[in-house]
Amino acid sequence: MTLLDLLLLLSLATGVLVWLLGRWSGAGVLAALLYAGQFALLGAMDGSAAASPTFQVLGQTIAWSLDPFGRFFAFITLGAAIVSAWFMAGEWGRRYTQAGHNLRALHGALAVNVLAMLLLLASTDLVSLFIGWELVSWAGFLLMAQGGAAAVRAALRYVTYAMGGAMAILGGTVLAYAWTGTLDLGLLAERLPALDADQLWLLVALFTGGFGVKMGLLPFHLWQAPAYAEAPGPGTAFLGAISSRMGLFAIALVLARLVTLEGLDGLRILPGQFGVRDLLAWVAAFTIVLPTFTALKQNDARYLLAWHGIGQGGYMLMGLVVGDAMGSAGGLMHVFNHATYQAALFLSVYAVIHRTGTADLNRLGGLVVRMPLSFLTMLVGIIGLAGLPPMNGFVSKWLIYRSLMTEGMPLLFVASVIGTLGTILSVYKLIHNTFLGQLRSEHEHIREAPWSMTGPMLALCVIVFVTGTAPGLALGWVADAQAALGLPVLSYTLGGVASARGGLDMLWIVGVLFGGFGVGALLFYGGGGRSRRVHQLDNYAGGHFLSADVRYQYSDNFYAGLMHRIGPLYRNAFSWLESALVSAVDLAALAMQGVYRQQAPALFLLMTAVAGLAWVVL
Amino acid sequence: MSDLKQISIHAEGDAGGDPKSEGLFTRVFDELKAFCRSRSLFMLHYCTGCGAIELPPAMTSRFDMERLGIQPMVTPRQADILLVTGYVSIKTLKRIILTYEQMGGPKYVIGICSCTVNGGMYWQSYATAKVLNEYLPVDLYIAGCMPRPEAVITGMRQLMENIRTGKADSWKDYYRRYDHYLGNQQQLFGERWQTPTDVIGEADHYGLAGPETIGPHTALLQQHQVPLQPLEMRLGSRQERKP
Amino acid sequence: MDALNLALELVLMPLVAFVVGLFMVLMMRRIAARIQRRVGPPLLQPLYDIVKLYGKQTQISHGLVHDIGIVMAVGGYVAAETLLPVPGMDGLADRGGLITLAYLMMIPSLGLALGVGQCANPNGSIGIARALTAMLAYDIPFVIVIFGVAWHYGTTNLADIIALQQAAGPGGWGAATMPLLALAGLFSVHAMLGKQPFEIYVAPAEIATGPMVEMGGKFLGGLFVMQCFQFYTAGVLYVSLFLGGGENWLTFLVKAFAVVAIPMCIAFLFPRYRTEDLLKMIWKWPVLLGLAGLWLIMH
Repeated sequence: MTLLDLLLLLSLATGVLVWLLGRWSGAGVLAALLYAGQFALLGAMDGSAAASPTFQVLGQTIAWSLDPFGRFFAFITLGAAIVSAWFMAGEWGRRYTQAGHNLRALHGALAVNVLAMLLLLASTDLVSLFIGWELVSWAGFLLMAQGGAAAVRAALRYVTYAMGGAMAILGGTVLAYAWTGTLDLGLLAERLPALDADQLWLLVALFTGGFGVKMGLLPFHLWQAPAYAEAPGPGTAFLGAISSRMGLFAIALVLARLVTLEGLDGLRILPGQFGVRDLLAWVAAFTIVLPTFTALKQNDARYLLAWHGIGQGGYMLMGLVVGDAMGSAGGLMHVFNHATYQAALFLSVYAVIHRTGTADLNRLGGLVVRMPLSFLTMLVGIIGLAGLPPMNGFVSKWLIYRSLMTEGMPLLFVASVIGTLGTILSVYKLIHNTFLGQLRSEHEHIREAPWSMTGPMLALCVIVFVTGTAPGLALGWVADAQAALGLPVLSYTLGGVASARGGLDMLWIVGVLFGGFGVGALLFYGGGGRSRRVHQLDNYAGGHFLSADVRYQYSDNFYAGLMHRIGPLYRNAFSWLESALVSAVDLAALAMQGVYRQQAPALFLLMTAVAGLAWVVL
Repeated sequence: MSDLKQISIHAEGDAGGDPKSEGLFTRVFDELKAFCRSRSLFMLHYCTGCGAIELPPAMTSRFDMERLGIQPMVTPRQADILLVTGYVSIKTLKRIILTYEQMGGPKYVIGICSCTVNGGMYWQSYATAKVLNEYLPVDLYIAGCMPRPEAVITGMRQLMENIRTGKADSWKDYYRRYDHYLGNQQQLFGERWQTPTDVIGEADHYGLAGPETIGPHTALLQQHQVPLQPLEMRLGSRQERKP
Repeated sequence: MDALNLALELVLMPLVAFVVGLFMVLMMRRIAARIQRRVGPPLLQPLYDIVKLYGKQTQISHGLVHDIGIVMAVGGYVAAETLLPVPGMDGLADRGGLITLAYLMMIPSLGLALGVGQCANPNGSIGIARALTAMLAYDIPFVIVIFGVAWHYGTTNLADIIALQQAAGPGGWGAATMPLLALAGLFSVHAMLGKQPFEIYVAPAEIATGPMVEMGGKFLGGLFVMQCFQFYTAGVLYVSLFLGGGENWLTFLVKAFAVVAIPMCIAFLFPRYRTEDLLKMIWKWPVLLGLAGLWLIMH
């Protein structure tokens, strides 16, 4: 029995146990402890660990084995699961049950997601990858569909996209087997360079497109925001933290290990200059910019954060595609960083929903005095999401920027910075409309969220801050992952990166930052006189006497000037594209029904398409 | 006064040391502060009446108040000087008092134009307040209808001199005799008059209260006052807090 | 460098920044006065203002976040000054380069935004929304300039950039080798200083000075201190990138004051742009100049 066997068994046992014991009040605590146990098992592994069960298909051995790259993602998965289960363990879970929902199903869905992700991360060949992929897709659907009618609609849209992506992956797998005769990832990596450019092109397109659907790359991103936002509380935190990064895992596997980035360089689109690698970098750049500005317009806190989740995926892909030591390290570290602060942000939003009943940014305000710990969590989260020192988001973004500078890619650099600036605007609106401004009279008596909810939030804040101050702690895992992928490895120090051409030492930066704050505090509290707190209605209003019945708050259309300028640019182009595609399929199905008069024309259409594909290939 | 809520207020001089034993350093520091206060005056550009027309010339290139360190500011929080420039109707006086109470001390009121001194041109009107310093303490009056910019600047320089020598502390008088001023305000505005600012609390907090801070008029105010406690940051709810 | 030297530098650099910034603010007010055919304030006026504000005896606060916002606004700049080399003192320039400095300069704005948020005044919130939008505008030519400079000199370490320029003499200054980028950079510096025509976020008569609406006493004093740091940082950063840093204190100060004086001479001739017009203007001309300059140095 190897450690991976134990891990997978424990994961299976977690699923069974939480399903059986789901009604028990301690189920959440049990789940969190079991996930922690899996985390410990994962930590006990070093190097690669193989699993015992294998089977044979078409003369190929299908096996599972976890290498440091998969382990990196597995740590993040289990961390997100621990935090989500902890959040559900107390009052949130009780109220969820009282509202008539099925807490046992939520626990079970979470456990199934973790098991499926572990299976995906441990894949060693294309078939186990596909099995894991399908399991992850369906587990994700299970988690998303629990939130009610809107959630089910969003989840069905997701499943449609996911099935399309899965068909592309299946097609790519079949083609790869047909052209190289093997399904094992190691052997594929040796034989793929022998293929000619057109074949490689097709493979890259199918795999990247298929895996990119899950990751939310443009133009396959429309399903992600509603599906994640409508899932129930901790489910959203888990999905937003790690679920779409499974797509990045698979893309990194294909691009870095199978095709290799040098191999990608050989694929040119326009003769001479523009290649597949540039195309991917630009897809990543657009994924950074466009969803961020969509998030800017959202009025529901969950949708705002979900759209940001889509945008941050672009950074990860861009770092990976640039490919030098700093860039890929930045992209991979961003996966970890994003998981930490995205989970923190979603949990704080759900704490606010728990107390006030709404996530509508135009109906909140001033909650900092009643929910200070949730405010602190959201503050740490937004500083991380915006990528400002001293939080960890800054380090991964610094690495990506630095690599873009070294490689000489100015337009991509500017696109990344535009994404960061848009993020700053958007998250300030989030924290201002929720926690700052005037407190509504109906919210004057609310309390902070209970410790079962603020506990995981504060734990995540500590992680975000500590890995920001001493990024070497996380960079160790990242360097191992880079080595496993065959990418150049970053040489790092505890404080960041030491480089003759301009390095980064976060220990000093954070130290001097807090020193500066100390000086500022000395000047403020020591140099100035006493101040007195005043009521929020004792405020400048041009001499007007303020009263509680008239709202004195600026929430709606927060960036009015900006929207004047860029508002016309929001054309819903991708939604139009999606609905055009849906109409085209509808038309084809109608035509099929006209020809064959079958009960399920769409199914017939699908079968015809698959038959056609098989004829082309074989 | 029996139903007056018991407030224990710190009278002026309760906290703080004996002024005679202040060291040389403290006195030099206070003189420095008084000097800087006299040379840096932010006036609230609250144009109450027709006299305001004389202020832009005093600020622009012919007379240039900025060389004396005086600049206009927009909100009462930022300002030191409240200029009451012209006649004060009852409606305006309510806003003037609110604005005055929102300013931070040390603060100075200058009544420009004769209407603030004794009612001026509107001495027979039912709708104006005749003597400004019955309702808030005034540091300086500049009579005229309207006083030219030279007169305004002479008045400003007199105020600067008063500040530098420490004579311009009538802002403390508002806290010391709040009951008296409130009484005059209630006579004009009615018994239910209140502002969102908490003058008694401030007097208590900074140790500026005097024997006449609370009295029969403040008792009347407290009977119908909307609570003015600031929202304090807390985790639990009111019921759960330990006594 | 030994610990004592470093500690001395970490204390002196913000102090120097504050004093030089005070005189830069004075210069700005004097330029405004001369353009308006007035005399202007006396020599130590900014200092009088700050002492008076800190010496206010009654001040209001809207809560803990309001206080912390001002602490962050001042403290963030104090920290950022240690990354900006001056003649004789390099501070922590080798531990965090251009990118870190650019991001550290956003921390004070974030702190101010949080403090203004808790003031619970819509004028302040509107002002902050406009200030962030303006930042979205001027940061784009700014990062194009930063990219160009870092690519041209092959490093993001400011001390090295200054050394390379000084080794080549005035012909090798950034302004001579990358003139278009220098022009775009000057545009960004002007917008960064937040003076006309880019001061829509203040707009005294429209939104009651925006972020400063509920700030009085030591709060406003902190903002005045922040303005001193802001002028200094923008000016000295430009000097380090394009004017060869400072060989000695005299040339350094002359260059820094000149860099701040040029936008100020233009500023007081203009009213202010609306937010959308500000965006349109800065996204057009400085960005085009910057991209053209970038193309020139990369090919």
